[in-house]
Amino acid sequence: MSVKVPSSVDVFIQGEKEPASSGVVVVLGFVTMLSFLILYGILFPGRDMPVVSEVLPMFEGVFDSGIWFFLLGVIFGAFSILATMLTEATSE
Amino acid sequence: MNVIVSTLAIFWFLLVLYFILIKRGLWIFNDVAKGLSMFMLEKALGPAIDFVSGRRGAASTAWILHGLVWTFIASTFTFMGLWLAHDPTALHSFESWGYHPESSELIYAGRITALFGAIGMMIVGASLHILPRLCGTDLASESNATLVSLLWTLSVIVMFVGSQNNVILGINVLPLGTLIISLASIAIGINMILTVSESTQDIPFPGWLVLFAVIGNLAAIVAVFASGAYAEGVGQWLLYHLFGGIFFFCGLAGISLYSASVGSGNPLWSKSLVAFTLFGAVITINPMGSTDPSMVVDLFSLSSHELAPSSRDVIAGSFLMALAAIPIIAFSANMLVTLRGSDAFVENPDAPGIAELNLGAWMLFPIAIGSLFVQTDALGGVDQLSGISQSLDLMAIWLVMMPLSIGSALSVLPRASGRHQLSENRSRWAFWMMSGGAFLGLLITMMSDFTDMALTESMAEQGASINEELRKVGSVMFYGTVVGAIFHCTNAISGQFRGRMVSEVEPISVSSIAIDSYSLTNPTTIRKILASGATLDTEISPSQQSEEEGSATEL
Repeated sequence: MSVKVPSSVDVFIQGEKEPASSGVVVVLGFVTMLSFLILYGILFPGRDMPVVSEVLPMFEGVFDSGIWFFLLGVIFGAFSILATMLTEATSE
Repeated sequence: MNVIVSTLAIFWFLLVLYFILIKRGLWIFNDVAKGLSMFMLEKALGPAIDFVSGRRGAASTAWILHGLVWTFIASTFTFMGLWLAHDPTALHSFESWGYHPESSELIYAGRITALFGAIGMMIVGASLHILPRLCGTDLASESNATLVSLLWTLSVIVMFVGSQNNVILGINVLPLGTLIISLASIAIGINMILTVSESTQDIPFPGWLVLFAVIGNLAAIVAVFASGAYAEGVGQWLLYHLFGGIFFFCGLAGISLYSASVGSGNPLWSKSLVAFTLFGAVITINPMGSTDPSMVVDLFSLSSHELAPSSRDVIAGSFLMALAAIPIIAFSANMLVTLRGSDAFVENPDAPGIAELNLGAWMLFPIAIGSLFVQTDALGGVDQLSGISQSLDLMAIWLVMMPLSIGSALSVLPRASGRHQLSENRSRWAFWMMSGGAFLGLLITMMSDFTDMALTESMAEQGASINEELRKVGSVMFYGTVVGAIFHCTNAISGQFRGRMVSEVEPISVSSIAIDSYSLTNPTTIRKILASGATLDTEISPSQQSEEEGSATEL
């Protein structure tokens, strides 16, 4: 009696559960990004950041109070509620 | 003229008439009235009624979810109002859009959305589940109640817009909101009366509290307009407090007492205390709320009058507010003893909402007594405590009414929808964030109010810098309430889709530390049991053990 075993799995397989350590990779990415930004400041002192330095002045006088940090959290919360409604209602 | 007593006499007469009509019916017109009402609730609405779900519990679920979303909106606007109290130009960038937000306007919007959107919708939502259970029947029209939740939400949106800009295109927006919410209240009232008419058993007292909450609201409006008191400052103040005493207090008492009993699994401690709560709430004036009745003036588009009561009104009002201590203490004591009947610990995950109910019951008495002093001071024209009126009003909303309504809603939601919240842990976090944020934030804001009052009294030319710092800390602390509301919203919405089914047996939580059962073989101390890894949820089983010497079994 022989059992047929496929020599290779010719389908795309994705894990059902997210591994806990995947968050570490994301955090590592953020830390690396911040490190490079600091390094840019050390290597090119006094020089503005490309693109970012041109975009930020547009918001001068708009986000000039600490309340905006909290309102960003509120906006994030509002979208998380909206996203929860949409994703829960449409997921299989 | 004694405005308070004459208006209350009409109000009491209307409630007695309502009670008699509920008990005795409409004689030979019963069947006609019921048939016509059912037609108005369902068929007369045409295709609109087919757009909503009519399954059992759908209405309650819809109202509670709407209420939770309004909680988030209300907390956000209250936070912004508290922030602008110390930093008035924080949102000046909105001026480019023609919007000039002020602290008082934002707090006003927060109060309206909290009272009518969050608390009001959760009271009605929980009532729509509770009343049919107490009557031993089904809700007369689930479809209509579900549809009306959209109408009520529309009215709160209109009120919210009106709180920021009352006149749009020459139309007074706030009275329009009042008109829509009155229509929704009438529909809910008819639905509840039809439900009661099919009752198969005597209605317990919490059921009457819920019924009086919905109908008493309309009776208060009729009484104030029939007596002509609406044109006087005292009448407007009275209408504001009748709303608070009837709709909010009776409604919250009804749903909280039911939820405390059902959630904890304990019988309601005292039936006579519930009767005292109902009777007391109807005949007294609830002192909680602001001293300024401008919300009533705005909602009914009345001309504002100064609160200038006659001496007889001062005596009657103060006496009736002091009497309100009886139903308040009766309700609070009944709740607390019922919750503590067995192991319904404040953090017991098996009983959702218990922690909130516990907080609301604890905070009710001190805030009510504080409100009594402030209201008596305002009614007597002394006005020495008016500086803390707003903070105390916010405390009544966020530390009494909101916890009681959210607690009841969380307790009722799984029973109405058939699914638990998604995460008990997130629910617990939401409780601590909301209660901690509201308690600390508003307490610190009140400290700042007292400093302001002291400075005003001493006629100081410059404000104290500590005052601004206190308001800043208070508003930042209150942000916890916003975060807690977001947690509650996402948890409840996800729970409707992926939460554990109520019919399923709860999986036993296993961890490396906690143990599920403990066999008690000989006398020991609680310390030793806890040291072995037992928690408050560990089941202790006594095991029989004999000290007799063993011997060979005889065959």
